[in-house]
Amino acid sequence: MRELLERLFQVDFLKGLAVTFRAQHPKNIVTEQYPLERPMIAERFRGAPRLNNNPETGETLCIGCNLCALACPENLIVVGWQRDDATRRKVLTDFTYDTSRCMFCGLCEDACPVDALELTQDFEMAYFTREGAIWDRHRLEQGPTPARYTR
Amino acid sequence: MGPQHPSTHGVLRVKLKLDGERVVGSECIIGYLHRGVEKIAENRTYQQFAPYVDRMDYVAAVSSGLGYCEAVEKLLVAEAPPRARVIRTILTELQRIASHLLWLGTHALDIGALTPLFYCFREREEILKIFEKYCGARLTTHAFRIGGLQYEAYDTFEKDVERFCKDFESRIVEYETLLTENRIWIGRTKGVGILTAADAIAFGVTGPVLRASGVKWDIRKAMPYAAYDQYKFEIPVGTTGDTYDRYLVRMEEMRQSRLICLQAIENIPSGPIMGKVGKVLKPPPGEVYHAIEAPKGEIGYYIVSDGTVQPYRVHIRPPSFINLQAFDRMVRGHLVADVVAIIGTIDIVLGEVDR
Amino acid sequence: MADEPKEPKPSQVPTGDKPVSSTPPVSTPSAKPADASAPAVPPKPAAAAPPKPPVVLQTPLDNEFVTRFRAKFGAALLEAIEDRKQAILTVDRAGLVEIARHLRDAEKFDMLSDLTAVDWPKREKRFDVVLNLYSFAKNERLRLKVWASNTEEVPSVVGVWPTANWQEREVFDMFGIIFSGHPDLKRILLPEEWQGYPLRKDYDILQQDTAWVRENLGIESGQ
Repeated sequence: MRELLERLFQVDFLKGLAVTFRAQHPKNIVTEQYPLERPMIAERFRGAPRLNNNPETGETLCIGCNLCALACPENLIVVGWQRDDATRRKVLTDFTYDTSRCMFCGLCEDACPVDALELTQDFEMAYFTREGAIWDRHRLEQGPTPARYTR
Repeated sequence: MGPQHPSTHGVLRVKLKLDGERVVGSECIIGYLHRGVEKIAENRTYQQFAPYVDRMDYVAAVSSGLGYCEAVEKLLVAEAPPRARVIRTILTELQRIASHLLWLGTHALDIGALTPLFYCFREREEILKIFEKYCGARLTTHAFRIGGLQYEAYDTFEKDVERFCKDFESRIVEYETLLTENRIWIGRTKGVGILTAADAIAFGVTGPVLRASGVKWDIRKAMPYAAYDQYKFEIPVGTTGDTYDRYLVRMEEMRQSRLICLQAIENIPSGPIMGKVGKVLKPPPGEVYHAIEAPKGEIGYYIVSDGTVQPYRVHIRPPSFINLQAFDRMVRGHLVADVVAIIGTIDIVLGEVDR
Repeated sequence: MADEPKEPKPSQVPTGDKPVSSTPPVSTPSAKPADASAPAVPPKPAAAAPPKPPVVLQTPLDNEFVTRFRAKFGAALLEAIEDRKQAILTVDRAGLVEIARHLRDAEKFDMLSDLTAVDWPKREKRFDVVLNLYSFAKNERLRLKVWASNTEEVPSVVGVWPTANWQEREVFDMFGIIFSGHPDLKRILLPEEWQGYPLRKDYDILQQDTAWVRENLGIESGQ
């Protein structure tokens, strides 16, 4: 009997509608207006790579140890270095990072002993050419340049 | 049907033999997403291969990662410290909820219930945010390392998980209101794609599909790994093994996962998060098979070591691949429209089927 | 896409070859009792760590189950070892189906979890076909192994566990091992006209069926 009444008044349907309309309350709206409103990116987010400079002297932190290149599963990092005759230390000459093959697994970042290579919170990395995805040292040191969109 | 049909959840192609509207035979054609993961493994070090397993079942990357890390730990005869194991358990259970939510949303969408998809994604977003805060990635997380964890739990980790679990209780009720008693839903799922327990075992089916057929078997209970032996939870089982039962089993599993998370965050042991494994991993020669309960079923890793830094052979037992084999048995005698429901109910991810 | 990736690759190819060259010391142990060579190799990783007794991970397995098994099949059981507490039985190729049926019915190993193969090119019988079984009743796993050479066929276990169907197709696809008695043995993941078997050790990671790629995809390389 109860089942018949429930069928007659479409209780299951009304219950469903109640849920649907509840979600329309302005308080319950969760949509983000992305380009206008930048999402909150977590601190640990692994995004576009950056090669850090020492903030005081402006010199690169990278010591050319090549550990990141060895750690990378895709072998996409190429570190160029030269030995300085005066100080007998390695000096970074070139750094190439192929972001088109990067999985953003973070192994290079973990391997870096001096925190020079860092995956930043930048996530907007579209290019017009495949060559644009291969970043050289200058591009890596420059860091993310997020675009601002206005209506 | 396929390989670009929206309901096949990827690039699955199904050849159907029809008698009018009825399916009399079927053949799945797979391999469109084959990337040779097992060959890649033989050419990477143990640590370097870890990000690749995330890319098999990309909606449950944490679970695949856990299986791989534990398999290599077994091979090394090492163990992760207790704190790492508990955090692993929490994240894996959250991942199970996320995976089931994605399944629920898309499965309901296939059958014609549009609304649950948005609600499921809303909750899944919360979980992905926790992942993002914890390890810096949302989907292909690479959250665990061999021997333990790379990242310490962030400051508000427990609070975030607890808040999610509190909210989630009422959310599940919402989904159930929309579907469980819904006449159309029952009509589309009850009695569709029945798989008996004997068939399920013969076809090697695992996970919720096996449990819906009435076999009470869950690796988390049978062969506990991570920290599952410390927590109380139930294994939901179905009776008839039809699509509706599989739906109910997965809903209940989400509830149980939520309970596991709540139990786990109550008491996360302190201590180191990384076990004693070297920087360079050279497991002694030998072989190991280790399986865990992923959201889709048993994901097993068979790893052979020859004592070098690279695995000699890695074989992955993907639950989707093996569960998909039972598709032919489930689909026979049903209507073409039910094929969509049955593909959805097996919960396959083509990245894992094809590897 | 082609120019930049080329550069790091040379460093990768030699490492790719390494496992093949270092195979002989390893491929022999699994043909002979494994514990003979197990202590010989661990010192290498343990060298840096403080000296500790080499751990013997592979031990001959001899329990009630193996005794029962040996009594029934005798000569068909070639080797029984335990590796990291996981039981491994190596059996004769010809008797595989009979043994499989016995294990399923009498010993209750009712689920075949996984079927795969391993290639040891330096060995006379280069392939291991590996079956991972599970018993719901005993909550136990068992690994069954069969050796096969390049030309030998392995009897198919599809009649015992239907789940072996796709798994044997995958092994055929990747290793080229023929399973006699399989109902529909054809490639499963790769295209049917593909030449070569990718998971064999002599198949390089960069190798591919260039003719197929050119013809069907219209590009020079799928890399």
